[in-house]
Amino acid sequence: MPGFLKEFFNRNGTGMGLAILGLVLFWTIGLIILPQLSMLDFSFRPNLPPPEIGGPKDVYTLENYKYLIYGPEGGSQSYNAVDLRVFFRTLIAAVCVTIFNLIICYPIAYYLGQSKGSHIRIFAIMLIIPYWINEILRAFALRIIFGETGVLNTLFMGLGIFDTPFDFIRNDIALYAGLGYAYILLMIFPMYNVIESLDGNQIEAARDLGAPWWRIHWRVVIPYAKPGISSGCTMVFMLSAGALAAPQILGGPSSLWFTQLIYQQFNDNNDWPQGAAYAIVLLVTCILFVLAMMRLFKVNMGDIGK
Amino acid sequence: MNTSFLRISIWVYLAIFFAYLLGPLVIMSITAFNSSGFPRMSPWECLTFQWFSELFQDQRILNGIKNSLIIGAGTVVLSVAMGLAGALMLTQIWPKLRATYYTIIIAPILIPGVVLGISTLVFWDRINRMLGLGADSFLSNGVFLTVIGQSTFIASYCMLVLVARLQRYDIALTEAALDLGATHAQAFRKILLPFMRPAIASAAVLAFLASFENYNTTTFTFGEYPTLTIELAQKVRYGITPAISALAFIIVALTVFFALLNEAKLKRQELVAAARKKATVEELAGKIKLPSFFAGNMAAVLLVVFAVATITVVGTATAYNPAQCIANVKEQKQLEAEQRIQELRKQREERRKQREAEEAEQGDAQQSAPKPSNNSGFGNVFAPNTLGGEEDEGAADTEEQPSGSNNSGFGGVFDPNSLQNDQ
Amino acid sequence: MSAGVGVDLENLWIRFGDFVAVRDANVNINGGDFFSFLGPSGCGKTTILRAVSGFLEPSEGNVLIGGNNMRGIGPNKRPTALIFQNLALFPLMKVWENITFSMEIKGASAAERRKRADELLDMIALPGQGDKLPSELSGGQRQRVAIARALCAEPDVLLLDEPLSALDLKLRQHMRTELREIQQRVGITFIYITHDQGEALTMSDNIAVMRAGVIDQIADGKTIYNDPNTAFAASFVGENNVFRGKVKQVMGNEALIATNRSGDLVARISTANQGKMKEGDDAMMFIRPEAFAIASDGAAGDHFVTARVNHEEFEGNVFNIFTEGEGGKEIKVSIPNLGQSFEDHTGQNITLEYETRNAVVVPAGELAAE
Repeated sequence: MPGFLKEFFNRNGTGMGLAILGLVLFWTIGLIILPQLSMLDFSFRPNLPPPEIGGPKDVYTLENYKYLIYGPEGGSQSYNAVDLRVFFRTLIAAVCVTIFNLIICYPIAYYLGQSKGSHIRIFAIMLIIPYWINEILRAFALRIIFGETGVLNTLFMGLGIFDTPFDFIRNDIALYAGLGYAYILLMIFPMYNVIESLDGNQIEAARDLGAPWWRIHWRVVIPYAKPGISSGCTMVFMLSAGALAAPQILGGPSSLWFTQLIYQQFNDNNDWPQGAAYAIVLLVTCILFVLAMMRLFKVNMGDIGK
Repeated sequence: MNTSFLRISIWVYLAIFFAYLLGPLVIMSITAFNSSGFPRMSPWECLTFQWFSELFQDQRILNGIKNSLIIGAGTVVLSVAMGLAGALMLTQIWPKLRATYYTIIIAPILIPGVVLGISTLVFWDRINRMLGLGADSFLSNGVFLTVIGQSTFIASYCMLVLVARLQRYDIALTEAALDLGATHAQAFRKILLPFMRPAIASAAVLAFLASFENYNTTTFTFGEYPTLTIELAQKVRYGITPAISALAFIIVALTVFFALLNEAKLKRQELVAAARKKATVEELAGKIKLPSFFAGNMAAVLLVVFAVATITVVGTATAYNPAQCIANVKEQKQLEAEQRIQELRKQREERRKQREAEEAEQGDAQQSAPKPSNNSGFGNVFAPNTLGGEEDEGAADTEEQPSGSNNSGFGGVFDPNSLQNDQ
Repeated sequence: MSAGVGVDLENLWIRFGDFVAVRDANVNINGGDFFSFLGPSGCGKTTILRAVSGFLEPSEGNVLIGGNNMRGIGPNKRPTALIFQNLALFPLMKVWENITFSMEIKGASAAERRKRADELLDMIALPGQGDKLPSELSGGQRQRVAIARALCAEPDVLLLDEPLSALDLKLRQHMRTELREIQQRVGITFIYITHDQGEALTMSDNIAVMRAGVIDQIADGKTIYNDPNTAFAASFVGENNVFRGKVKQVMGNEALIATNRSGDLVARISTANQGKMKEGDDAMMFIRPEAFAIASDGAAGDHFVTARVNHEEFEGNVFNIFTEGEGGKEIKVSIPNLGQSFEDHTGQNITLEYETRNAVVVPAGELAAE
């Protein structure tokens, strides 16, 4: 290690070396590692008013995690059915959104990746533009469309399909459409990057050998695009499970997202340790999901974030 | 036969896909010009620009923009600096540490934004307490916390952008500078930094956009400095108006403008490079003139069209006065409302007659009692001056809630139940 | 310019982990010399150059420039300028900015820098090209700009790391003369790294032949060519035919070698090995292609070699004959073309003769890879 440091300073000079090292340490330790550890520590502590923090009552406890599973002490139910249901519903819905995105994005990524010409650039711009628009505004746009007097209801009622306005929001259709909408780009781009580098001759060769189109995809394109697919799926799952704006704006009044529970603990209940515990649960779940995806698709960390 | 079917289905699919992607933005933009009080496309009422002026008078929005700009600037500086340092470190870190290091600096992209926000809040609150500072110290300041929280993951994006360019950097250039007597800082400033400039610019734009639109992290850290996104979220959650559509339209227009500008610039560079290959260096200066900026440059043409359209719209906006149209619509609504009232009145008359007939059968004992109260209720409504005033409100207000407190007079009229209860 | 500052390497060791890149190098380079390190790629010559320029700290031993120990002094503080293998011209700066970079960092004004750049551009025969970007120049022009940039820093020692390797043959040969001329004009010490023995021989006052981190021989070009210390030096510098065998008899400065294939041959023991070789030692004997002559048929003795001709080729200035040799390798014989007629020997046995002073024997050792 000292050898490495010596070489590092030789190469960058003392001043520059210190600046680089300082910034990197501040980022990795001060912004990434310590806050997470601090949150982990916090989640094991009781919710105390500020004067009592560090006092005799400030001891480690599993109370906050127990709350998620068993609910408040002396509660009527033996399990915290409400919060647990929200938690699992969030995970399942995020998986559904991910699969939905994968299905609708794969053809586009394949098309963009394998066709040549300047119109591809225009398509790329059209893909990127929505991503540059504020997340809130994107959700707002969908709310205009899915609202009771929105475009879709007007259209369907005009066509005579519905008699009365259909409540897309209460039925969570708006929410799923919104989550899918929000992260399309993050699904397409990793897949596109990989598929673009696939030699078109391989597909030609497979076609030449008489493979039907679905088999070409199943045997040639998809195995090749695996790193992109897993990268895209990971990103979309993470962002969907961790989304806050879309559920707040497009979610029905009765259905909650897990992040909304965390938000409530922090902002409405003012119970930070409880919120931190929930955040840890979300973080750990997401990490496990990433590891599972990496194991499942046999890809490594280097492929993610391209 | 089969291939043409495939081709058509691809185009249909593309059309549906891009309709899904862009449709909401287009519809939202259009609602910004409809005079209807609720953002909607149909029924179309009047072309109006009033939502824009309303937007620019909204103090909370303006304040949000100001906070967003301050926080965005801070985030750009911090995350580009950290991203560059992180990228430099990645290219020269001890090989055994590289995988771990990469995992750590890439992890913030995958950590949910709410978790980053919470951990930032919790950690700095603790530091603040450890240092014995008060609740209003710098470390618990909303701007500071938001910049820190956002930079945690935005620096990762910057790092990815920067490391891509850094991999193409020839370390011999820095060595050459050192060899010629430059200090490390001079070599960095005069050689590496100019080389990295395009990537730094991209990273800065990316960082600013990411900061500007961030919600999940900021919502925990903003303190007393709500950003535009936070303000928007508040507004959208507790009642939506076309003023938000107007803001969205501006953002969409700006985005399209800059995307086209960038594309035109890239295309131009390509054309110049292509020309350079053909022409010798001497010929170049004369050859690339402004007109060829457009030659074969679709994006540039679109850009010009876009600029003309913007000027037209702004011109129209200053000259155009929708008052007449709004008045017409108001009149129309008034007529419709009157018609409805007439119908209701008729229905009511009929019912009364029916009832009178029934009552006549039952006897005259209770006959006179309900009449006066009913009349007084109607009397208010039909008085011409009251009607005008109330219609004004009705046009501007959302039709979702026709029975607002202003319309108590109407409420009774529209609700058939109350009519029956009256008796 | 300075009269010339010498460079000394004292017991220099450079290690990367367990790998020894340079093993106990001891070199004295005189001020004003054109000195070359010659060796195949990976022999450690670039490592030595980086130690001299200050990018590498030696593991042991010292680098002295003008008698001053350079330990702990960074590259930007040493009186050296390095010309990189890929030249490392700053791509975003114009030619004149590149050339005067060393003045810019000292805070010289733009006018001063322009003036100096124009002088140097004249010197490298690129007048008026100062406002171009390096990417707009040809390979040879870039080469000269790199030299001008290094000279602008007014170094005491100019270090060149295979600067000609990217150029085509013609230009390379032209640049050799040009480099030598520039060196003589400015009179400073040049340390030149190359794997091309032609470059080393044509330009250098002295050459160090390197193999796997070890310096085999330091001498002027003629000595290295005619009187190599080791089998490696003999086989790496110029073309050479090798005859393996054992020392049969030592006769003063000559030895009789029992070769594996060509019988007993007599040769001169190279100067550095005189008095060190004894009977029974494994030895290698080297005779250059041009040192052979065709002898009359059937001549026999201790400086005649008989072999079967595989094929022949005409190269213009010489006529090459390739005969069967040892271990699958052919013996190459080059007969100068002086207008005589050549008969075709293919398939025949021919007898070759050489003079003893042109056959050098050294202890058996590693040969340079072809």
